Amino acid sequence: MKKTVLAILCLAFAAAASAQEKKDWGYVTGSLESNNNLYVEDVANDFYPSMQPQLKDGNTFASNDYLKVDYYKDRLSAGLQMEMYSPTLVGYPISENVLALSNLYVSWKDKSYSVTAGTFYDQFGSGLLFRSWEDRMLGLNNALLGVRATYGWEDKIAFKAFWGIPRLGKISDNVAMMGYEGDFFGFGLTDVNVAGADLSISISRLLGMDALSLSLEGSVLNKHEAIPVDFEKLSEAGCLENNIGWSGRLNMDYDGFFFKGEYVDAGKQIVSVPAAMNGRKAENGNAQLVELGYNGNGLGLTVTGRRMQRMNQRIYNYNGSDNGYESAANMLSYRPAMSTQYTYMLTTLNPYSPQVGDKVIKAGEIGGQIDAFYNFRRGTKLGGKRGMKVHANFSSWYSLNENGGTEGSELLYRDFSIDVEKQWTKKFKSTLMYCMQDYNKHHEMTGRYIGTAHVVVADMLYKWTSKLSSRLELQYLSSKDDQKDWMAGLLEVNFAPHWSVFASDMWNHGDTKLHYYNAGVSFSMSNLRVAAGYGRYRAGYICSGGVCRAIPAYTGANLSLTASF
Amino acid sequence: MKRFLFCLAAMLVAASAFAQVPSVKVENSKGETFDTASLLEEATPMIVSFWSTTCKPCIRELEAIYESLPDWLEEVDFRVVAVSTDDSRQLAKAKSFAEGRGWGSDFTLLFDKNQDFMRAMNVPVVPHVFVIDAKGKIVFSHTAYVQGGEVELFEAVKKSVRK
Repeated sequence: MKKTVLAILCLAFAAAASAQEKKDWGYVTGSLESNNNLYVEDVANDFYPSMQPQLKDGNTFASNDYLKVDYYKDRLSAGLQMEMYSPTLVGYPISENVLALSNLYVSWKDKSYSVTAGTFYDQFGSGLLFRSWEDRMLGLNNALLGVRATYGWEDKIAFKAFWGIPRLGKISDNVAMMGYEGDFFGFGLTDVNVAGADLSISISRLLGMDALSLSLEGSVLNKHEAIPVDFEKLSEAGCLENNIGWSGRLNMDYDGFFFKGEYVDAGKQIVSVPAAMNGRKAENGNAQLVELGYNGNGLGLTVTGRRMQRMNQRIYNYNGSDNGYESAANMLSYRPAMSTQYTYMLTTLNPYSPQVGDKVIKAGEIGGQIDAFYNFRRGTKLGGKRGMKVHANFSSWYSLNENGGTEGSELLYRDFSIDVEKQWTKKFKSTLMYCMQDYNKHHEMTGRYIGTAHVVVADMLYKWTSKLSSRLELQYLSSKDDQKDWMAGLLEVNFAPHWSVFASDMWNHGDTKLHYYNAGVSFSMSNLRVAAGYGRYRAGYICSGGVCRAIPAYTGANLSLTASF
Repeated sequence: MKRFLFCLAAMLVAASAFAQVPSVKVENSKGETFDTASLLEEATPMIVSFWSTTCKPCIRELEAIYESLPDWLEEVDFRVVAVSTDDSRQLAKAKSFAEGRGWGSDFTLLFDKNQDFMRAMNVPVVPHVFVIDAKGKIVFSHTAYVQGGEVELFEAVKKSVRK
């Protein structure tokens, strides 16, 4: 019976595909992502499923699921996204079981203009003034529900404007269905609305210049948030219902040399102060960002500098914790940490979380970073027969004082890293990395506690046959601070093109003597990937795109599935 | 179970067989606006690979393509488009990274800093590759990368030319 059903489904799909090709009814495309965890009690890891707020009545299972479907027909497109949490994975914003429609849009795109109604994402420049985006790893989705129009004159001038309501807060009753109910931060609409416009002029294309690329850009954003009646003191503290911010940008590129400058005036930004003024006061927010460098001849060099003062740019400023004021997802802009985003296990233990200036004693941060990539070509002395790739990075960040100055500023974070990748033979490749991090105690960033960690990593890949390969990671962290020394190892065996298995362990032998073990298997075929594993995870921070969220320690089995069609 | 997975995969391939490349604004390596629909103007097959600087399998896959490309081009005429999904934190770094690997000379580099193209192509995770034939139709796509998987990818490119 099952075989018959499967055969009918396959035939139906094939028939649909054939029919659509002939009649041009457009096409449907979509994706599915499902992340499932089964938690187990682990006394050594201080993890008890029964103490997790979302796991009730002895339940030890949690799942985050996303289904996205889009339809395209010539210039028309429409789509939706459904999300289901039953309940959310541990560490995510707390939720009961929820199944809801989260995104819905229809869009018309002509050659020079487009109109979108429904939910959409957008960004001005680097995102310092405005960004709406989705990051499932963080549980962040601040899509706007509204209307957006864009117009472009050839490829010389681009203009866009929108009005919308950011998503955040409580789920509405009318979207809860199928017996699921409850609150989920990130669903539902706020009572805040924003309107924005962005203009980009390509001077070089207007003047018909080929070698030089030069563009001028500017944006303006208005956010409206009603001040609650019982918060009347906010007006006395300079807080406004309508806040206007703007930014100006200059981009230049000539023969591999590039320069990008951005100035942002975010208008009145709200700072947390003691309860005397209802916990809020307003100060001017501004930011400056400069990126310059050279890309060419196997060299990639980037120098970045940024200063941010009172750039918290929240969706909600005046409403209380009920609306998720304290959540990391309460943001309308993008202020990432401008330092290396490490990926090896022991290099991610102390990530940097940027200081946006939402606390009265620190107005923000100032600092910079340098990145250099160089490819020693084949046949050179250092490159050898197969070439060698080198990357080095240095970054250093300091706090601004209460007035936005640098007097009395303190070190927040500093790191240096170098990695060398070398293909020794046709079968063997290695990457060696050294990294030093001076990190501040997370979130408090008082400057009174600086820890230092040195990490070395050896990553070796060996191809046994064209289809069988293995990869070994060996890592060591040396530190006199916090939990002192760590070591870690990972072994991965790949059976191309479908299977991969791995086992890893991260051992804190300097203090807790705890092992954070993990093992898993993955299968991928076409657009389908299924992965299963079991492991113990350390409490820490998930940092994605520069935004960090604290996650608790946990132990358990996981099963994830991603598919697209 | 194996049959179910095979059938599910077959259905996904069938459903995506008539999908095409939507028009989305991204950036080229000079920071200029680039309409993804213009990728189809050349009317040659192409591999479109979504990657990011923090995704090691993505980098291994693009490196494998980069190493094999001279040999592959002797057999088939096609292009490689590498789409970085890094946001503005890593955008400048992604451009330098690609140059530091020599990709700029062999690949068309695009930068999708707010993941608009990634969403429009329904790429849930990276790495994800598409093979698009000369008529602009998606004829193959694959999520994740296992070392050695580039052989299957090149077979799909050759098949797209024979069609």
